[in-house]
Amino acid sequence: MTTHVAAFRLPVRITGFMPLIALVTLVAALTVADADFLTQRSLTAALRTAAPLIVLAAGATLVVLCGGIDLSIAALASLSTVLLALWLPDLGALATPAVIAVAATIGAVQGLAHVLLRIPSFIVTLGGLSILSAVALVVSGAGTVRVVDDSTVKWLDLYLGGYLPMSAVMAFVVVAVIAVVLTVTPLKSWISATGYSESAARLAGTPVDLVKVGAFCVSGACAGFAAVMLVSRQFSGGPTMADNLLLPAVAAIVVGGTAITGGHGSVWRSLAGALVVTLLRVGLPIVGVPSAYEQILYGVIIVVAVALTLDGSKVSIIK
Amino acid sequence: MSVPALEVRGLVKHYPGVKALDGVDLVVRPNEVLGLAGENGAGKSTLLKALVGLVAPDAGEIFVRGEPVRLRSVVEAANHGIGMVFQEQSLVPNLTAAENIVLGSEGSAVRRGVYRWDTMRRLAQEQLDKIGSDIDPLARTDSLSFAERQMVEIAKVLRIEERSQHPPVIILDEPTSVLESKEIETLFAQIRRLREFASVVFVSHRLDEVLDVCDRVTVLRGGQSVGEVATAGAVPGELHKLMIGSTGSDDHYHSGAASLVAAEQPRLSVRKLSGRSFQEVDLDVAAGEIVGIVGVHGSGREDVCRALFGAEPTTAGEIRMDGKKIDLPHTRAACAAGIGYVPAERKIEGMVGAMSVADNMTLTKQKARCTGPFVAPKKQATLVDRWIERLSIRTPGRDTAIGRLSGGNQQKVVLARWLVGGDIKLLLLDHPTRGLDIGARSEVYRLMRELAGSGVATVLLADSLEEAIGMADRILVMSDGRVVAEVACPNGGKPSPLDLVKEMV
Repeated sequence: MTTHVAAFRLPVRITGFMPLIALVTLVAALTVADADFLTQRSLTAALRTAAPLIVLAAGATLVVLCGGIDLSIAALASLSTVLLALWLPDLGALATPAVIAVAATIGAVQGLAHVLLRIPSFIVTLGGLSILSAVALVVSGAGTVRVVDDSTVKWLDLYLGGYLPMSAVMAFVVVAVIAVVLTVTPLKSWISATGYSESAARLAGTPVDLVKVGAFCVSGACAGFAAVMLVSRQFSGGPTMADNLLLPAVAAIVVGGTAITGGHGSVWRSLAGALVVTLLRVGLPIVGVPSAYEQILYGVIIVVAVALTLDGSKVSIIK
Repeated sequence: MSVPALEVRGLVKHYPGVKALDGVDLVVRPNEVLGLAGENGAGKSTLLKALVGLVAPDAGEIFVRGEPVRLRSVVEAANHGIGMVFQEQSLVPNLTAAENIVLGSEGSAVRRGVYRWDTMRRLAQEQLDKIGSDIDPLARTDSLSFAERQMVEIAKVLRIEERSQHPPVIILDEPTSVLESKEIETLFAQIRRLREFASVVFVSHRLDEVLDVCDRVTVLRGGQSVGEVATAGAVPGELHKLMIGSTGSDDHYHSGAASLVAAEQPRLSVRKLSGRSFQEVDLDVAAGEIVGIVGVHGSGREDVCRALFGAEPTTAGEIRMDGKKIDLPHTRAACAAGIGYVPAERKIEGMVGAMSVADNMTLTKQKARCTGPFVAPKKQATLVDRWIERLSIRTPGRDTAIGRLSGGNQQKVVLARWLVGGDIKLLLLDHPTRGLDIGARSEVYRLMRELAGSGVATVLLADSLEEAIGMADRILVMSDGRVVAEVACPNGGKPSPLDLVKEMV
């Protein structure tokens, strides 16, 4: 039942573009604040920084769309950087797919635990976060693992045409592939139904459990791929390398307007959300906001952005 | 004549594609029970929501005791003495009845932020006394029966009397739809008691109830008030005529279309099926046959229905479809076997409110809209439009969110979900007409007949005994989880409700 106050509602057609509008507004505001912001160099830097975040957020978006949450993505990505750095000398080019496969498996295992043991995804992945962080520390010997020969992952740190970071292009490809696969198959209906109303989805014969495990599996794979990007950029793997990406990834998802309660949203929205979050991180210092105020501004803008992008008519209960 | 307790003049409310209210007028006099009748989509829900401040009208005026008011929230409405008992129960299950009653208007029950249990209990008791209820205010809400919870809900709404310092206007939206007949009588006694110090607006789809308990009925159609009937001496037919704007069908249950059941191997054959709340249930349904299962609350019939759809575990027994033994470990297995299920809780379990008509309709039979593994948008559009037309589903379009449709049209989409695949063999209908008006009911009945005619076997858990008798070819009576009687129910030889009640208790 939709019993929401009709005080603040935008026409349906506009709300779909709100994340994009928020992004453009932010770029415009940063440019006004400092005309030098809008240079090729800072945009390239922003895109390069955003790439792993986009991939992480895109994967976790699927879990959120199913009505769950994946808190383990950043820890899993950190562990994956360590594994990749350790395996590169022996496996070479195969190390990348191997790491992504392992990460996907770990994601799927968490999904299975959530579905079979009927534990809330919040708890399962909170446990996963802790376990994976510890495993990363153990296998890395609690230190950075240097990559001597990065020839097989270096391609991700190149620039297309000298300007466009390869990692950003690949992040875009990941988002596009997920979005297209969802749209052209019944998966989108299944995921939405599961997220909006699990009981209704189940009684309609939707493979709810399979969909959920699949979402966790893709979320894991994305964490693995984000790790590859990080390693290619840093020439090393570290047990806490991606840890600080968890909250930005969650912020990216909600700033994009995906409902944290499930059902409503898309990976495109998370792409826009990740860019907004990154631009704030990178842009605020560039335009000369003092670091003490930066955090305040960041927090305010995130909250305002969610207020603008969340389509109230589709989400009846805001938790 | 005294000033009306509540008056509505020319209320208008537009939604995208729908004019929900089109200049409604309504007068509620002091100390009267006013009935509100109208088909689904007539604007009843919107009007009620406007009266408690949940919907802001586009035009028109609301007067409380002669004074024009603007109601912007439930709290403002309560301050003016208007309160509503919601269709979906709005109590917090793990709090006591007393806590629920004072929730949101704690007043002197809270001092310096701390609950004063004695005061709270006294305040709650005052409300319960008003309706002469003997419910223990300190009982946990989830330990109460459904009917008792409704009493608590009414008591909660009565708190507004102290708040507004005036006789309250209490709105009851479909209060009887989930009550058993004895509970309904208790509720009606309460309503008559309420009338002594309050005005009541009563909404129900059951016209006999409306006529029974109300002093006067206002009929809505197409967002307008089309008539007013004094209930003394009125008959349901009269009201129905006003509601639909013409005479109703003489043959409500379309029994003329009743199928001839060929005696052959049953489509569904259940032997000694046992589960948590039912034991050794035997059930046969032939192709084209409609079998009703009746029983009081707790008879286990709902669970049998769910078990046949793989949504409730079974411990023993055997299910055969067309003679072949099948296992139903989950709902997907049932879907694959050609079994469809329409749950009683349409809004929660039957449909996904935020998703479109098209997506809801094709949610189960994905193959019907796909080419290979891919969704074919054109195929889906053609398919969905065909069913929208066939079932005359009133919707602005196939992409409209199903939650925006009226109940009857929602239910048709939910039914269509099982039909689009063209492979449906057995339909399990759990209260398929709950909350639907007469017109929509009649259409659902017609559809059921049509499906039966095409060979679909149907298990029906009817909304009322009359409905079971009217629709079913055969009726099983369940009590305490067992089938205790089977009553033949052929056209021309229908049993009376009394015959069934005798078996039920």
